[in-house]
Amino acid sequence: MAEPTPTPENVSVTIDGMTLSVPKGTRLLDACAQAGVSISHYCYHPGLSAPAQCRMCLVEVEKSPKLVASCVGTVADGMVVHTQSENALKAREGVLEFYLVNHPLDCPVCDQAGECKLQDYVSAEGPPMGRSKEPKRVLGRDDFGGDVMFYADRCVMCTRCVRFMREVAQDERLTTVQRGSRTVIDTFYDEGLTGNIWADNIVDLCPVGALVSKDFLHKARAWDLDRTPSVCPNCSMGCNVRLETRDNQVMRLKPRPNPEVNAHWMCDFGRLNYSWMNRVDRIEAPLVRDGGRHVPMSWADTLTRLADALRGAAGGARAVVSPFEGNEGIGALRRVLEAVGGGDGVFRCEQGEEVILPGFPELALRRDRAANVVGAELFGFARTGGADGKGGLEQAAAHTGVLFVLGDELADAPADFGANASLFVYVGQHLAPAARNAHFVLPATTFAEMEGTFTNIQRRVQRFWPAQRAPGMARPSWQILGVLLAGISEAGAPGTAADAFAGLGAVRAEFGQLSWAELGAQGAVLPGVRELQETGD
Amino acid sequence: MSAEPIRSGSEYDPTSWPEAKQVPGFAGDTGEFATLSEADVRGSAYVGQRPADGGHASVAGTLPYQVATSRADAPLFVGPYEDRLEKVLSRYPDRQAALLPALHLAHELRGHLSPQTQDEVAERLQLPPAYVRGVATFYTMYNLAPVGKYLIQVCTNISCNLCGGDAVLESFLKHTGTDLGEVSANGLWTVIEVECLGACGFPTAVQINERYFENVRPENVPAILERLV
Repeated sequence: MAEPTPTPENVSVTIDGMTLSVPKGTRLLDACAQAGVSISHYCYHPGLSAPAQCRMCLVEVEKSPKLVASCVGTVADGMVVHTQSENALKAREGVLEFYLVNHPLDCPVCDQAGECKLQDYVSAEGPPMGRSKEPKRVLGRDDFGGDVMFYADRCVMCTRCVRFMREVAQDERLTTVQRGSRTVIDTFYDEGLTGNIWADNIVDLCPVGALVSKDFLHKARAWDLDRTPSVCPNCSMGCNVRLETRDNQVMRLKPRPNPEVNAHWMCDFGRLNYSWMNRVDRIEAPLVRDGGRHVPMSWADTLTRLADALRGAAGGARAVVSPFEGNEGIGALRRVLEAVGGGDGVFRCEQGEEVILPGFPELALRRDRAANVVGAELFGFARTGGADGKGGLEQAAAHTGVLFVLGDELADAPADFGANASLFVYVGQHLAPAARNAHFVLPATTFAEMEGTFTNIQRRVQRFWPAQRAPGMARPSWQILGVLLAGISEAGAPGTAADAFAGLGAVRAEFGQLSWAELGAQGAVLPGVRELQETGD
Repeated sequence: MSAEPIRSGSEYDPTSWPEAKQVPGFAGDTGEFATLSEADVRGSAYVGQRPADGGHASVAGTLPYQVATSRADAPLFVGPYEDRLEKVLSRYPDRQAALLPALHLAHELRGHLSPQTQDEVAERLQLPPAYVRGVATFYTMYNLAPVGKYLIQVCTNISCNLCGGDAVLESFLKHTGTDLGEVSANGLWTVIEVECLGACGFPTAVQINERYFENVRPENVPAILERLV
């Protein structure tokens, strides 16, 4: 990345004895983070305005008469900051003690236990013993509508949720009502959060367990979850997410910050649409048709037979792919199609209303409700079917040559789908009725069980990592098709997803210009975007 | 001017001060001005008679008991109220700042700020309804639910409390036959407990609609209620 011009003026600031140079106007809290000092804070969030509401981030600044809230204080040249001085520590300990006066100590049943800022801060610098003898106040809980449940007792009044709805969602449905010690967060009368698809972000924002997800409530403890960086597959936006799994089940999706794609947010549609990753009716072994029945067979035998069959196949090739497949699988299928003489391919994608996040318009729930529509188009597959993701398979169904289906479940296809094909290969996750005519049924993994990349609507190629164990003998589609390709052509078999990705350059040159390492955790935009758009590709 | 510190010397010793005259009754009366009447003391700024039951003379120039004539279904911001709202809006740099007086207008018209009233004010001022709700609930002098014709606010803060505020409150509740904050069956009374009314010199202070009653004792309550009915 090029340096931003003009270069911002830097100032010198000393934090806990370490002198560093930071751009003028940097928040003290960010400057401290750069110096490796993390300051406790509730109300401050990088994606929201800073009201200095929680008073947790107090630090001592030399020559300043009072302690400074580091989330609103900015650096000045020659500033000397002490974050661990006696005054600062005492003040923060005092603030924490106030928070604990009324905060219920229901950590054993709280959804946020294990990822709660109050737990962390009290453990780090809180008072060792409670002094409060009075009973704690009880405010109860409230269903905020949508997926959000509110536990008023646990609220620390940081107002992050109110500010998110005001500034980012720009749909002010939350407010603070009453005053002083009676203040609580509330929805505006009966309306609640129902209908706002960005509302679940306030669950991520809440630093304590006040706002919790009804979907995730009491399902898992934070420390039992494995967190895998991934990309949300539910629309062509490709929000960066974490797949949080336990016992090989995806329990929830959480957004992962990426300033170019989704900042800190994601929509509820994508967030709550994960149960399909936990589906159990999976194909677990390669099946080869022998007369009227399918016989399970080893991968080596299956692929050898399939390669032999492909070498003798005639009538041209045709393919149906799923836009939920990664670039590597779709690209490998394109190479296989070319190796057997080329052919048309289609994909189907369910569509819905586009919902933009007003405070961050780059982010939207996109019309295409699948992750890799752009990738499928780049590899030469054409959109077909209706907005409900059905229909449009008449040509494929009647095809008499080689027919490939990759990932598409063919839920609406007739029973005789592919019956006329000279060779019908079904690569997918679920044994659809329409796959009964397939000569070869090959078990593939879902994106959550493998490594690979999606291309989002910004033509940004983003990596995902395996979060679940694949069932039985299921293999990533890039591996299945890559090995098959090696069997029928000169190409080498890919050993890793990186190899499969490197092979994409043979189909689309711009993929060849991206290196696997360069993609990193945040992805990279395909080069030559303008040229592609002009040629109407 | 003497350069000496003012506190030095025996003449400033508190023990050398003249003894205060111990006159029973009015705490501030030294007995030196026995011939002055109350009117002489108050001068021309004095606007009313001190009512027999302890109403505060200085605010008595307004309507006798400021009896609420509000209607919960009165149209908001029409006619003179529209003019008044326009005037209010012209006084503030933005609509957000004009919210409190706008709510006061609505409160005056309808007697309380129902959710619907808050919505209407929000719409008129083009503010988010949630923001209006936050403000309306923050200030305790807006009624959020209907109240009786007479809203009796009994101070139970420290000064009144020491002088029997709780007993006065009990007495009001007993004689109106209501619970705290409830509207009585005849629609006349609502008794609430408030923080300081700013009349700590005359406890117990009670505010009925706009009028102050001071030095109220539990036994005064029936007489006060009788006068109002």
